[in-house]
Amino acid sequence: MTYSIIARCPHTGRLGLGIATFSIGVGGRCEGILAGVGICKTQAYTNRGNDPLAIELLAQGFGPAHVLRMLEQNDPNHDYRQIAIVDREGNGAAHTGAGTRPWSGHKIGAGYVAFGNVLAGPQVIEAIAAGFMNEPEEALELRLLAALEGGRKAGGQVGAEGHLIERSAAVRVVADPDYPDIDVRVDLHDDAVAELRRVLEEFKRYEVFYRERGRDPSTAITQAQFVARLEGRA
Amino acid sequence: MTYTILGRCQRTGRLGIGIATFSITVGRYCYGVKSMTGVTVSQAFANERNNALALRLLAQGFGAGSVLSQLMANDRYFDYRQIGVIDRSGTSAAYTGPRTLGWSGHVTGDNHVAFGNGLVGPEVADAIAAGFMAKPDADLEHRLLMGIEAGRDAGGQGTRQEHKAERSAALRVYSQHPYADIDLRVDLHATAVEELRRVWSEYKKYETYYRDRERNPRGAIGQEAFMATLRAAEA
Repeated sequence: MTYSIIARCPHTGRLGLGIATFSIGVGGRCEGILAGVGICKTQAYTNRGNDPLAIELLAQGFGPAHVLRMLEQNDPNHDYRQIAIVDREGNGAAHTGAGTRPWSGHKIGAGYVAFGNVLAGPQVIEAIAAGFMNEPEEALELRLLAALEGGRKAGGQVGAEGHLIERSAAVRVVADPDYPDIDVRVDLHDDAVAELRRVLEEFKRYEVFYRERGRDPSTAITQAQFVARLEGRA
Repeated sequence: MTYTILGRCQRTGRLGIGIATFSITVGRYCYGVKSMTGVTVSQAFANERNNALALRLLAQGFGAGSVLSQLMANDRYFDYRQIGVIDRSGTSAAYTGPRTLGWSGHVTGDNHVAFGNGLVGPEVADAIAAGFMAKPDADLEHRLLMGIEAGRDAGGQGTRQEHKAERSAALRVYSQHPYADIDLRVDLHATAVEELRRVWSEYKKYETYYRDRERNPRGAIGQEAFMATLRAAEA
């Protein structure tokens, strides 16, 4: 019961991940992303060691298909995992184990992988891909969010007892190995994808201010002054 | 305007961060923690490269005091920064630049740093440290949360005339793995510390279930079935 997209921006080379799920705090299980190296996300019955290991292997120079084989060789429960990998060139690979709960599957496209499990059906994956491709000139974080919204609109997660709400969601985009460019999360909410849009849109208003005040504090205004400007009070 | 506790568990060696602030999505500044290596946060007018650089220095074997000196020597704007560091042996170091805003300062001790800026006064930093030390045998994530809550209860951010809301908060703890044990965030909320307690309390109910289904998927029940057992236990 998770749907995700990992992708590389063809214009900038930025790497990103979007995810929504029924489980709590999913953004805390998304460490498999490193600027200039690649992205790996393991889900379903996840293996937490997979994503850091895959990043090490991608950094060594192995391609996604070979990394996937090495993860398989390393894991006796590989058939319960769902894994997607995109490398620094946008090449993708994916695995949806036979032991994941239905409906589960993935789609590998140009520079992205859309994947999920315990979903309403294959239309969810198609809608994630379509949402991502809808405005290819947009910033990667907005494309990732549009992909998640596409997946939710197409029915999202459906478990044994019917539709499952999204309780947590996250979008991460990296351009530099030292810190994330975009890193927004909702950890526990009744409509986490909608809440994630609220957080991302609010963050986008502050993004430049937060970055520049750290880079040159000597010319920075206070956040109180900045908020006053945002609200049209000054 | 931010208040933070860095902590190391003296029993287990686990390392963690608790943080609350007016800025949104503060959890994105909390990647300066790594298993068996150390923990650091740069705040106030934060230098975005400091946390990654400090972790590399800690991994090379430099102690907390030396790491702090090197960060300061590397940064032309260091007088705007506030930095805390704990190394893997539990030695701590902290710096509060004279150009950080409002009341700002830090309290350091073995295995902890309590620090903040834009605060009501020094009683907030003292309360954070006391909250962290109140139950030394509790889990590190619980102690970090109690530290933050004590800071809030002592007045938190702003001035004695006007409180500044905590809009985001985060809790991260590492043990021996290359991924976090605990990694919870509230990115945009009117009372982020209270919300972080709610998220943490709920997550704790699932923590063992989430871990065990990953390690042994063959024996795992579905999350809906697990929630039914939770509801039965609470009834």
